[in-house]
Amino acid sequence: MKQNIKKLGIMIIGLLVVLIFYLSYLNVVRGSEITANPYNRRFQEYENQVRRGAIYDIEGNVLAETKISGDENKRVYPFGRDTAHLLGYISERYGRTGLESEYDRYLLGMEGADRVSNYFNRLLDKEQQGGEVTLTIDAYLQGIAMDMLEGRRGAIVLLDPGTGAIRVMASSPSFDPNILEDLWPQLITDDSSPLINRAVQGAYPPGSTFKIVTAAGILAVKPDYVDKTFYCPGYIEVNGYRLNDTAVHGEVNLSEAIAESCNTTFAQLGLDQGAQNFARTVNAFGIMKDPGIGITVRPGTMAASGNMIPTELASSAIGQGEMLVSPLHMALAAAAIANRGEIMRPYLVETVKDSRGETLQQGSARHWLSATTPEISGVIKKGMIDAVRIGTAKAAAVPGFQVAGKTGSAQNPHGQTHAWFIGFVPADQPSLAVAVIFENAGSGGAEAAPAAAHLLSAALNRDY
Amino acid sequence: MSTGVQYAAPHLNTSRSAKGRPMERNLLFLAALYMLAGMTTLYLDAPGILAYQAPAAGLTVAAAFLLVHLYWKASGYKGDRFLLSITAVLVSTGLVFLFRLDPDYGMRQFIWILIGLGSLVLTTRLLVDFRFLSDYKYIYALVGLIILILPIFFGKEQGGAKSWLDFGLFQFQPSEFVKILVVLFLASFLSENKAVLTAGTRSLGWISLPGLQEWAPLVVMWGISLLLLVFQRDLGTALIYFGTFLAMVYAATARIFYVLFGLGLFVSGASVSYLLFGHVRERVLIWLNPWPFIDGIGYQITQSLFAIGSGGILGAGLNQGYPGYIPVVHSDLIFSAICEELGLLGGAGMIILFMFFVFRGTKIALHARDEFAALAAAGLTALLGLQAFIIIAGVTKLLPLTGVTLPFISYGGSSLVANFILLGLLLNISHESDDSL
Repeated sequence: MKQNIKKLGIMIIGLLVVLIFYLSYLNVVRGSEITANPYNRRFQEYENQVRRGAIYDIEGNVLAETKISGDENKRVYPFGRDTAHLLGYISERYGRTGLESEYDRYLLGMEGADRVSNYFNRLLDKEQQGGEVTLTIDAYLQGIAMDMLEGRRGAIVLLDPGTGAIRVMASSPSFDPNILEDLWPQLITDDSSPLINRAVQGAYPPGSTFKIVTAAGILAVKPDYVDKTFYCPGYIEVNGYRLNDTAVHGEVNLSEAIAESCNTTFAQLGLDQGAQNFARTVNAFGIMKDPGIGITVRPGTMAASGNMIPTELASSAIGQGEMLVSPLHMALAAAAIANRGEIMRPYLVETVKDSRGETLQQGSARHWLSATTPEISGVIKKGMIDAVRIGTAKAAAVPGFQVAGKTGSAQNPHGQTHAWFIGFVPADQPSLAVAVIFENAGSGGAEAAPAAAHLLSAALNRDY
Repeated sequence: MSTGVQYAAPHLNTSRSAKGRPMERNLLFLAALYMLAGMTTLYLDAPGILAYQAPAAGLTVAAAFLLVHLYWKASGYKGDRFLLSITAVLVSTGLVFLFRLDPDYGMRQFIWILIGLGSLVLTTRLLVDFRFLSDYKYIYALVGLIILILPIFFGKEQGGAKSWLDFGLFQFQPSEFVKILVVLFLASFLSENKAVLTAGTRSLGWISLPGLQEWAPLVVMWGISLLLLVFQRDLGTALIYFGTFLAMVYAATARIFYVLFGLGLFVSGASVSYLLFGHVRERVLIWLNPWPFIDGIGYQITQSLFAIGSGGILGAGLNQGYPGYIPVVHSDLIFSAICEELGLLGGAGMIILFMFFVFRGTKIALHARDEFAALAAAGLTALLGLQAFIIIAGVTKLLPLTGVTLPFISYGGSSLVANFILLGLLLNISHESDDSL
């Protein structure tokens, strides 16, 4: 019996040893991740003890800073509504969101060397300092995008296809985060949902902009379609349903079908590749994924490929049906074509530094997905160049540069079509990819394309 | 350091004489310093007339522990010389944190600690010949069972568990005391029936089993555990009862079959209650992933995790964290508050103290004079060790969170007094053992 008692004692002590290991794991390994939760009200408490670090744009403009007036720490956003969705807010009453919440631990000086120095600062009753975050965003361009969204509902995303750095992420309607507490009652009852970041949370039918994905899909399984000619009588019948096109395009090849945005051809191309191949390409473009940029992105949704009936497949192939995506996803799709089929992981944060200026995190170009091949992206790029040169996207042209683009006028249950434009510039050596959507604004070629041209031209002038 | 005056042991007819317990005295002085450091910090953070309570209570408790030591020394008591000081550190931590969290709870805990120390002295005085307890086992098993099920009919629901009796002036949680009776009953029963249980009287295939007579009480234990689980919604206590029961059966018989069979029974019982009862399903759900329920049923555990995660290695420092966000932090979740303010080191320190406690308890069991004493010591040790494990595992989300107290630290009179009696019984067993530990 003594043996048993000994074993029993060892077992119970063993259980307690397990606890110590688990507690260490929880505390040291998982601690930061667990506590960086908007529901952890400690951050609001730290707010009053720590001088929260500032957030800058890529040019060093202050996007958010903490001003101390008397006993109170006030968070100030000089660009107000321009950066509201992107930065989010920290409110004692309404919680914490956006990059402010995501980078709480850095901004409050709880990481790196700040962790130790602030520990002593607290004990010695000295002011605690937070670190600072620099974004890839260009506040000037962000302002231009917001100006174009003024009075509209919609979103604009501009990024560097070669690195994934996001230059503009604009969403409208917006709100002034400096007076969030006063605006709140009206923000939450407003039918146009001003609190939603449409650039990443929007769920829109992509319309014809999605044809570049469908084109990549068909060329992956049927390479000979490059030279094939299609006939468009102005409609297509699928399982007895008639889908009408916007025009009778007659005989077109793939490039022309992109440039003219021929629905008949692309509905057929969707059917020709089959639901599984179509779904595989959609996944390869990252449409169904959250790329992890620090703020939550709504992954795209579509009908499951297993039970996608032909009418749904034909509709999805032209960006209608159950297909719903965010503007960021469409900007990434354009970036894929721009970057020879490779998608770089998008990112918003250039550097994270502690309060002494020591770099803790450095944003960098990292490969994310291989959407398609260089050959296929070349074919699609040609169609997109033609769309701007002679097709539906003429209004996207920027003098002195060759723009490649694709328009979309997405039907939706809320009225007029959503006006879409996606594209990149300069076509031969792309440094900018863009997605523009104006909700219920009409045709993409007339509404979204000129706005994109304006933004691209401004960005090119700033040497992006 | 002198070895102290030598006293004759009045309870024993052996000629061996007691030592002066200088180790205990020195360790108690250290515990007193520890307590005063904590209380002084609290006082300096918020000086004032009210804040005097904390250092005053701290000093009184430290003095009371020393008095118990002096009494034992004078009476030649030979119980284990480490357990009282381990307990003193645990109790001090609890008292400091209760004053920090809510001085009202601190004052009440202060009174309960004095009552607890009183029960400890009484236990080591009156029950020093604890062996008579073995003779009346069925009587108090019955009494225990009745007290235990009383709350089902007359009880008061608190924190989701219906295991309290309300006496107006104070509330009483029978299960805290009955668990000691259960250990004594099992120790007595198992030491009597050990041979039969180990060998078995009939065989069932390759497994030899004892007769129904020997089985029945054990099945009753299983039933009691489930009763607690289902009717009082007291999952934690059920787990402790059943764990202690299995531990003792294993210690007595060394038959892993019983343990596995018992575990099987418990798992099947738990599965059935999972299927039948919403509150059990809820517990499991928030254990697996509390984050989607952070606003509602997952609030408590996620707040606990925030506190533990916020502490870091060194902790925020006493009185520098925000443990007030954790619901029932003074009782079941006090460990999370300790982790937030004393950090990983403080939390691990508490666990290590419980390991010491279990280590000393196991030693006492190994040196006990007979099987009843050995089993009782092992059972009491397992009881305390398992209770500490279950609640700490609960607040860290290693196991589902169940409402039991952290022994000697959590607020709660029933729990505190019961654990002091448990300590007294362990000490009595070591007192009469011949070996010097």
